[in-house]
Amino acid sequence: MRRLIGLQELAGPMLLVVAAALLGTVVSISTQSYFTDALVKVAIVVALYVFIGNSGVLSFGHVSFVAVGAWTAGVLSVPAAEKPAIMPSLAHVLRDRTVGNLSSLALAALVGGICALIVALPLMRLSGLAAGIATFGVLEITHNLLRYEEKIGPGLNTFSSVPETTGLRQAALGALVVIVAAYAYGRSRLGRLLRATREDPAAARAAGVSVYRQRVTAFALSGLLAGLAGGLYVHLLPVNTESVYLDLTFITLAMLVIGGATSLWGAVVGALAVSALDSYLAVAENGTSFLGWQIDLPAGTRVIVVGALMAVVLILRPSGLTGGRELRLRWPW
Amino acid sequence: MSESLVVEGLEVRHGGVQAVRGLSFEVRPGEIVGLIGANGAGKSSTLHAIMGVAPVTGGDIRLGKLSLRGRRPEEIARAGVALVPEGRRIFAELTVEENLKLGLAARRSRGAEAGVLSRVYDLFPIVEEFRRRHAGALSGGQQQQLAIARALVAEPDVLLLDEPSLGLAPTVVDVVFEALATIRSSGLAVLLVEQRAQRTVALADRSHVLANGELRLTLGPENANDTAAMVEAYFS
Amino acid sequence: MTLAVLNIDWQTLTDAVALGAIYALMAVGIGLVFGVLRLVNFAYGQLVMAGAFALALASQWGWPVWAGIVLCFAVVLVLSLAMDRLVFRPLRSHSPAVMLVATFAVAFLLQSVAVLWFGSLGKIATSLAYLNRPVTISNVDIRKITIVAVIVALACLLALTALLERTTIGLHMRAASMDFQTARILGVRANRVIAVAVLLSGALAAVVAVMLTVQTPLVTPDFALRDTIIVLAGVVLGGMNRPVSATLGGFAIGFASGLLGGALPTDKSQYLPSFLFAAVILVLLVRPRGLFARKGAVERV
Repeated sequence: MRRLIGLQELAGPMLLVVAAALLGTVVSISTQSYFTDALVKVAIVVALYVFIGNSGVLSFGHVSFVAVGAWTAGVLSVPAAEKPAIMPSLAHVLRDRTVGNLSSLALAALVGGICALIVALPLMRLSGLAAGIATFGVLEITHNLLRYEEKIGPGLNTFSSVPETTGLRQAALGALVVIVAAYAYGRSRLGRLLRATREDPAAARAAGVSVYRQRVTAFALSGLLAGLAGGLYVHLLPVNTESVYLDLTFITLAMLVIGGATSLWGAVVGALAVSALDSYLAVAENGTSFLGWQIDLPAGTRVIVVGALMAVVLILRPSGLTGGRELRLRWPW
Repeated sequence: MSESLVVEGLEVRHGGVQAVRGLSFEVRPGEIVGLIGANGAGKSSTLHAIMGVAPVTGGDIRLGKLSLRGRRPEEIARAGVALVPEGRRIFAELTVEENLKLGLAARRSRGAEAGVLSRVYDLFPIVEEFRRRHAGALSGGQQQQLAIARALVAEPDVLLLDEPSLGLAPTVVDVVFEALATIRSSGLAVLLVEQRAQRTVALADRSHVLANGELRLTLGPENANDTAAMVEAYFS
Repeated sequence: MTLAVLNIDWQTLTDAVALGAIYALMAVGIGLVFGVLRLVNFAYGQLVMAGAFALALASQWGWPVWAGIVLCFAVVLVLSLAMDRLVFRPLRSHSPAVMLVATFAVAFLLQSVAVLWFGSLGKIATSLAYLNRPVTISNVDIRKITIVAVIVALACLLALTALLERTTIGLHMRAASMDFQTARILGVRANRVIAVAVLLSGALAAVVAVMLTVQTPLVTPDFALRDTIIVLAGVVLGGMNRPVSATLGGFAIGFASGLLGGALPTDKSQYLPSFLFAAVILVLLVRPRGLFARKGAVERV
């Protein structure tokens, strides 16, 4: 029975992702891109959840690993013939190598994970505000380096010419992989130990759990998943340093908090719900009609609505739409 | 004219735990009422509920005709109830004098602050002597005297004390208990929560023994040497 | 006249002092609210931005300088109080993490309101531009705003210190930031203390808005955003628990970034944020409670 409930915690998020993907296949091509984007957001938010949700420590730095993943997959995927035009100062090692879609995603995850591990080793000694500011520092440094270091990417330019392999199917599969990994980690001994440190760090320490080591593990894993999500992202649309910086940090944190930061179900629900609203508003900004009303919102309404929604949810339901709990259906028998 | 503190059918709940059940008692001006009992009997919860920092789930608390239930701590302080909190809660980084001036925040009348301070200094000369020092530099006993002094400068009707003798040397405990007797004779209503049961029973006009959040027994000063009764009430 | 070391000239040095002074004021503004609410206000920069837009509008309407400054203060103070009422107050009992994320949301909200209202290209505030002209003191050219910034910052800090140390409300604020519950038990009015802290913090944001618009007359919706991020790092670096350490942290990071900006060779200067935040992280690792925090000060976050 426990096993059944456990599988339900995995099946719920997965079914939701599949349902979103299926819905995406029946709409118009232009609308489909919103679904694809939403599924990539699910991957990013679930990656965030692996660390923030399980550890209870806030990180503003995770989009760094999305960026690193995007850069890795992007640089390695641009066709060799076009590299000199987009990235004239690229290092030789990178200039001569081009890999396929799947390898680029795997490498994005790997590099994301390694970077996260390197960052985690010193930073996970910190907690509270110091940790928050330090992870923010990581985001700043990553953004700054990617922006000006032209040996490893396009610098200020946008990643054009990356094969757009992230369609609905790849986005959904990617999101599912991240969800399964997050679920497996959460059910594992390591995940349970980390959650014990979230509930009561002192008691966990007294029981011999190394808070530091558990946090490092989770941070590295969530960096790896964020790297993968970054790879998916760069294959979805032309990315530049600004698209993997403050705005993405804000929207993904908002999704996690609105959904409910302490559960996988919350992460997925939050990502999809906010994406749906955000996409609808994006459409509405270009003019649309709703129940016969002509709606034509001024540009910029989206962020206002999402920001306001986030504030309202935080005030009324600080543990998110799902209450931060996993999906538990009551069986009729 | 001073007012009485009346507690009627008080219920306090902390999370899922019922800390106080149907507790009723009264403290009149010029009286010391003791609340004694084992750890977790509900003594501190009662004080916190009176002061507005613990959630009251039933019953009422009145100062004279004014109901205190549901009011904010600062309103209750300004209505004339002063608390000497457990562990003293002195502002260590402020000077002794600044700590006393904070006590003035709840004072209902304005002006003549020098007079109030000098009366408190008479009661606790040590506080006056060290008034320019940082409060954190005082010894535990001195800090306790400062905490009581800080509560008194508000000129309250009711003084609540949460284990004032905790961790103090016996000679200092004497100073504190003597001061309480003086405070009573000045017409205040004093509610004293203590672990030192025997001394409390001897000093107080009435002492209520609490167990499991309920009032079990009320003792007068004449019972101070009746240890058997106390032991039974504690462990029943 | 040049300082031989690091190739820093006097101009760079004085500019660094001025930037440090402005950042110190922002740090105090953030520190005051943190003291009483244990809330790190991410949206502080948007208060400055709102004030800067008020100045820009006033100069566009051809208002006299003093009227622009009055409008700036009015806008920032009203916005501060609204923020306290609508967001901080309902969130008061929540965890610091929730409050931090909420102010993050408010920051983005205000920024997008500004985009909607003024467009992302921004407006220009020109009324005080003459302060950018230099004066020459013993062969060194110093911009007037540098001198004004340092004097204004010192005056604000002195006035604030006097308020905190010499007045009753100041004593109440200090007590509330050390132990709010005990302060309330003693009769300190929570709402009043918080309102005063929020208003003072807002007034400082308005002062900062005036000075920053002199230095950067182009006011965009992300005005002061970068500065806020750097100041926040500085405040945590200095130590959040005391106004003094927060102020020093703010000054230190402003001074350091001004100096680094001048000292880095031109081809490395775009990496200034990396150097700055690497230094912040290093210091935090060595002294997690902050450089200037007192020993034994408890962090409640």
